[in-house]
Amino acid sequence: METHSAYKSRWLPWVLLAPTLVILVVFLYWPTIETFRLSLFRVAFLGLRKTFVGLENYREIFTNPEYVRIFTQTAVFAVLVVFFSMAVGLMLSVLANQKVTGWRFYRLMLIWPYALSPAVAGVIFLFLFNPQSGIVNFFLGKLFGIRPDWLTEPALAMGVLVLAAVWKNVGYNVVFYLAALQNLPGEILEAALIDGATPWQRFWRVTFPLLSPMTLFLLVINTIYAFFEAFPFVDLLTKGGPNGATNILIFNIYRDGFEFFKTGLAAAQSVVLFVAVVVLTIVQLRFGERRVHYGG
Amino acid sequence: MKRIAVVVATLLLVGSAFAAKKVQITFWHAFGGGRTAFIQRMVEDFNYTHPNIEVKAEYKGSYRDTLNAAILAARQGSAPHIVQIFEVGSQLALDSGIFVPFEDYVPASLRFQLDDYIKPVANYYRIGGKFNSIPWNSSNPILYYNKTIFKKAGLDPENPPKTFGEVLKACDKIISSGAAPKCITWPLHSWFVEQWVAEQGALLANNENGRAARATDVYINSEAMKRIMTWWKEMYDKGYYAYSGKPEDWDGANQLFVSQQAAMEITSTSDVTFHQNAAFENGYELGTGFLPVPDGIERNGTVVGGASLWLTKDHPREELEAAVTFLLWFTNTENMVRWHKGTGYFPVLNTSVKVLEWERWFDRQPAYRAAFDQLLQSKANRATQGALIGPFPEIRSIIEDAVQSIFQGTPVDKALDQADAKADKALRDYNTSVGR
Repeated sequence: METHSAYKSRWLPWVLLAPTLVILVVFLYWPTIETFRLSLFRVAFLGLRKTFVGLENYREIFTNPEYVRIFTQTAVFAVLVVFFSMAVGLMLSVLANQKVTGWRFYRLMLIWPYALSPAVAGVIFLFLFNPQSGIVNFFLGKLFGIRPDWLTEPALAMGVLVLAAVWKNVGYNVVFYLAALQNLPGEILEAALIDGATPWQRFWRVTFPLLSPMTLFLLVINTIYAFFEAFPFVDLLTKGGPNGATNILIFNIYRDGFEFFKTGLAAAQSVVLFVAVVVLTIVQLRFGERRVHYGG
Repeated sequence: MKRIAVVVATLLLVGSAFAAKKVQITFWHAFGGGRTAFIQRMVEDFNYTHPNIEVKAEYKGSYRDTLNAAILAARQGSAPHIVQIFEVGSQLALDSGIFVPFEDYVPASLRFQLDDYIKPVANYYRIGGKFNSIPWNSSNPILYYNKTIFKKAGLDPENPPKTFGEVLKACDKIISSGAAPKCITWPLHSWFVEQWVAEQGALLANNENGRAARATDVYINSEAMKRIMTWWKEMYDKGYYAYSGKPEDWDGANQLFVSQQAAMEITSTSDVTFHQNAAFENGYELGTGFLPVPDGIERNGTVVGGASLWLTKDHPREELEAAVTFLLWFTNTENMVRWHKGTGYFPVLNTSVKVLEWERWFDRQPAYRAAFDQLLQSKANRATQGALIGPFPEIRSIIEDAVQSIFQGTPVDKALDQADAKADKALRDYNTSVGR
């Protein structure tokens, strides 16, 4: 076996890798395997009592209309969040890429929400959209004489949730799109300009295709964000209400697992979520690779 | 000289051995903020007066977090000695099998304290004829109202509405006179529904509310439930009832009332102190009254809410005895008086009530009066004893979902039938999972 000359001993690389491996095994691999295992049990009291039930938990979540509804809502939520946080992120970064007066300030302000913790963002939106004393309804009432019950109407509640999740993540997309925009080859855009392309054509025919590697990267990251990191918003804003209309998978897993003590069912849902995101990521990468233009 | 040195050294050794033999007790509770500090002061007093025991109180987050943490700790064999568990977690705690019945460890000389509990509290926490846990913080829902707004609306500020119908009438006046933008608020929480069911003398589950035997059927589509939901829906449709839009949002309801957006609020008696301060700061006059009940029914009374303290198993006898010593001290007559005055939770001992009456406390603090009278006037029956249901937290969300779907226009009967089916399934699954 050929070894790298930097390492004299066969054991040294393992010793150096050990801390990382230990952390991965203890905090990532073992819990994942344990989740897979638990999903085959009916568990009472966080594992104090277990009975093996095979695939019963999976049968339950795929046949119970409650869970099917949660899957649908999760998909709707994820699509909306991914689309809007990327579209708005791209739009804002194109604007912020211009050298106008005060550009430093604009860029800072755009990135700022990303630095807030999701819990803080959730509370801010809770205050903004409070039907009686929130500032949104204060202005809507003054201007148009309407005061919607934001969190009582299923569609509005979902809207507020998506808005909060998008608002929080737009800054991240702006950072990456801005970086990508600044690294675009200037000569191509210049050539397009000389050829008389309109700004609209320049963006869609030149800039956007050149940004495609970044778009693919952000698509994967935003998908993961939408599935896994929306928990605090649901927990703080709606608790899955009204009548379960904003109950998405990540929130339901928490609720089943830690509030209702249905650990086996929660584990099965985690596995479904895990598999769904893995499959989605693979599809995005496979499908994306063919369309992405890496330039150079 | 040498001999003296030896004696001194021996004494020091023995002394330090005794010092080291302090029994260590851990106590997990779910009270944050000012109450953490309050509990800490009480615990320090105990440690000072009991040199051989050292109690350590730790705040573990919400009721649910505390229960979860205790179960996980018990799995790893490092359970705290004392855990605070919310009332609806009682059946869950019993089924978990990590606790021992508190009553078995009470020394004969102190048993008198167990007979001192006020009746509604004893009724709730005596399960199968035995105190499995020691009642601690107990509360009820009452009506808080803004007398200043009542006067503006032309209502009698000394006569708050007592029934659902009277609430509607008062709301007609408050809204039409423009005295406040909304009439009444309370958190969209199943707790209030449970209380209204009990007030009507109805049960929430079979087998006498799960008290005679394990409950196997939850009654969500009962007549009592329909009465509550029909009224609530009318209040909502007329724009009289307001809530933040989020279920179980206690702060949201308080905010609506304190900012004077709503003229009345129904919430826990444990907020009396908070509401008195808020009324003073915001310049309105506060009144309290009994929980309004459906018209034409006989008032049965409310169910005790709050939490109790449980003793975990698998500790040396000596430690369990020390924990019991602490618990009996912590909830004795004088400490219950102190606890009540500091928080607004009920003094749960008859002797504490006597002390408070002797001090004319309730005369000087009329806001506490309604809270306490309502509790004492509760009839002792299966309805007001409260239901014992294992998956109570899940049943609560099911009820809250039903309320929200009724607001959205689902007919009351249909929403309650659906909720009933869901709740029965949840109960079945739970009972199977604990092997019953």
